Amino acid sequence: MPERLLAYTDKLSAEPGDLIEVKVSAPRPGTYRASLVRMICGDDSPDGPGFKIERVAGVPGNEYRARRQPIPCGSYIEIDDRQSFALSSFSVRTFIWPTWLDNGSEQCILGNWDAATKSGYALYLDASGRLALRIGDQAPLVLPHDLMSRHWYLVAAAFDAASGRAILAVRRLMAYGHSGQRHFAEGQLTPSAVPNRFLIAAWNEGKRATAHFNGKIDSPTIFAEALKPEALLACPGTRDEPPPERAVADWDFSQDIGGTWIIDSSRYRRNGHTVNLPTRAMTGWNWDGSEMNWKRKPEHYGAIHFHDDDLYDCAWQTDFSIRLPKDLKSGIYCVRLVQDELEEFTPLFVRPPKGKPTSPIAFLVPTASYLAYANHQMDTSWHFDELSSAKFTSVNRTDQFLEETYSLGLSTYDLHGDGSGVCHSSRLRPILNMRPKSDLWQFNADTHITDWLAAKGLDCDIITDEDLEHDGLDCLKPYRCVLTGTHPEYYSLKMLDAVQDYTDRGGRLVYLGANGFYWRIAWHPSLDGVIEHRRSEAGMRAWMTESGESYMAFTGEYSGLWRRNGRPPNLLVGTGFSGQGFDVASYYDRMPGSRDPRAAFIFDGVTDERIGDFGSIGGGAAGWELDRADAALGTPPHALILASAGDFPASYHWVSEELNHTHSAVNGDTCPMIKADMVFFETPHGGGVFSVSSISWAGSLAHNSYDNNVSRITENVVRRFLDPKPL
Amino acid sequence: MLSIDPSRTDLCEEFKVKPFGRHSADLHRLLDLMRWGFARGRTVILCTVPHKEWRLAKFGPRRGTPMQIDDGRAFTSYHDAVWACFRARWKEMTGGECPVE
Repeated sequence: MPERLLAYTDKLSAEPGDLIEVKVSAPRPGTYRASLVRMICGDDSPDGPGFKIERVAGVPGNEYRARRQPIPCGSYIEIDDRQSFALSSFSVRTFIWPTWLDNGSEQCILGNWDAATKSGYALYLDASGRLALRIGDQAPLVLPHDLMSRHWYLVAAAFDAASGRAILAVRRLMAYGHSGQRHFAEGQLTPSAVPNRFLIAAWNEGKRATAHFNGKIDSPTIFAEALKPEALLACPGTRDEPPPERAVADWDFSQDIGGTWIIDSSRYRRNGHTVNLPTRAMTGWNWDGSEMNWKRKPEHYGAIHFHDDDLYDCAWQTDFSIRLPKDLKSGIYCVRLVQDELEEFTPLFVRPPKGKPTSPIAFLVPTASYLAYANHQMDTSWHFDELSSAKFTSVNRTDQFLEETYSLGLSTYDLHGDGSGVCHSSRLRPILNMRPKSDLWQFNADTHITDWLAAKGLDCDIITDEDLEHDGLDCLKPYRCVLTGTHPEYYSLKMLDAVQDYTDRGGRLVYLGANGFYWRIAWHPSLDGVIEHRRSEAGMRAWMTESGESYMAFTGEYSGLWRRNGRPPNLLVGTGFSGQGFDVASYYDRMPGSRDPRAAFIFDGVTDERIGDFGSIGGGAAGWELDRADAALGTPPHALILASAGDFPASYHWVSEELNHTHSAVNGDTCPMIKADMVFFETPHGGGVFSVSSISWAGSLAHNSYDNNVSRITENVVRRFLDPKPL
Repeated sequence: MLSIDPSRTDLCEEFKVKPFGRHSADLHRLLDLMRWGFARGRTVILCTVPHKEWRLAKFGPRRGTPMQIDDGRAFTSYHDAVWACFRARWKEMTGGECPVE
């Protein structure tokens, strides 16, 4: 495995004067050197503008002692009370929906067993995926019957300390032909009544949680007595159901679905909390399709899906802190770490002091989209990755590190190890693709914009999506002109409302990318720096949400496309996602709209008919992902289509949400819907929107020492948008 | 049955000259077949020195396991690595050597 310095900070967006805590894991002993640099351009490729950073003079570089810090991945529940579960006789029962029976590892369903001391008890799946009961250091009792993945089971165990009789029981809720639904196993064991930590979906290994369960768990209950076999496998509400009032704990996961509390509905209130954000608002054992919204029938959403690669917060100790100078200019900065030949950068977005903008321009950094792609492993998650990109899988040392590490937390583009889609992404972990000298996608591609602004002498303030989520319109109001990144794809309701309000109130928005404002996400209302997304119903989906699971747990909002939520991106920026391809890029041809007097300022000094037939991304300014104007989707009737790119090969593919019926004319060489439309339109109160509708546009800005028609058009727009005269 | 016609040396020649962009319909079909499914278990390209060196490689059986890297050959251009990957995939799918060097 390649060696890596790993780091993250407690904040991603900060103000001058803030104290930044830096958390580092270094692969080698000794020391490493840390400094703060301003990031101008992170593109170190031979075809790009060149790697450009500036040392921040007010923050001296320092040496720090190196240490390794653990990556505690895997979600589970920890119950606060220990003593009540130090049971001699007991019964445990719960519903499970296992998803990775053949992963070759033990997976604990629940119990207080500690692998370090070999004490306590656990109901679990053994390494071959069979149900097992373990007490103390004795050989486990194993049910000699295979389970099936993605099926609901009621599983249970009972142990009577006086007789030593142990029973394991399983009941499959789905009946198939002649196969039996109920199975039992019996054995003799001795008790191990110790007050270890009681966990669900993992067991203890000293202070660590290991043997993580993959799959759903619903309605676990525990009793301080050995129940009879018929009671163990009785479903809730049936005659033989064990009396809930005799339960030691009876956890109801349908309560506090948006939070991290686990509520014990027994009279004892032996509550717990989740760790590493397992997925909630999941359909439970009794979900019958009668309701799709968990808020309306929470009793059908009593399941939590746990994964051994879930990771919300590495919870690393702070290695050092940086006090940002009070006069630090708003901008993109990185903490730069160097150990021998190893180098790492972790970004920091410094906004201006609150209420004190330092420029009339703001660059709205799409950090929500950075999180959505954080540490993505599409190369192995997707069975269609090569067909989508029209390339053989091509990875780098970062991809190799992520592949060989289990796990630095995944992106919303990935599948968990058990094949289920990833709904959460957090910034409280090292994010290896949100850094300079990485693929020209999201963060690093967006530094083409900061590089161009610097080259043109256009000062700008930095605002992030987190700021937009926190402050709404207030953080945009001070600016005459707001620039987007190259791919501002993920938006919460509050973020989208803020940008829409900005343009409706006379703000000027320059949309320098494509496939923006596309997916609906939610930020967690109380946890720092984490988003949720469900890939509902339609769209260019990395994976597909399961039936009944389209409503987000964090907020209860319906996720999926903004287009399916009544807010197509065309309403805000005039265009919306139309197609994508990743092998070559194309160019625009000027359209009649570019001759309209209203657009004269945009093409001032531009004599070319062909725009952007050059660039460092795919060789053209129209490429990777493209947006199309479409009145039916809300493009304003007065929007001018200034230029259009439609010359794409078969490696470009039409977006799936527009393909209501399959056919073969869906590629760049057959489908007229695949286009990038450059548009301009005025908004109320003298505002305006200019949209380039292509991700690769920014890769053309620096061509010919920034003297080219892409750069000229962009500069014309920004300078006019800075003029307070109404558009 | 969906398979590659090993006699179509013309398609290999076409890809070698132009690995990206517009292709003939027959080459497009061949590449679609080569690219169906997960990359795990098949030959892929690993950039070992940024912008300077590429090697052929394979992912391990699952995440958390080492990649197998072909240390025998290093390519100094991405296009050369792509061509080598094409030849490796050809062999994986047809059982025979790609007829074009």
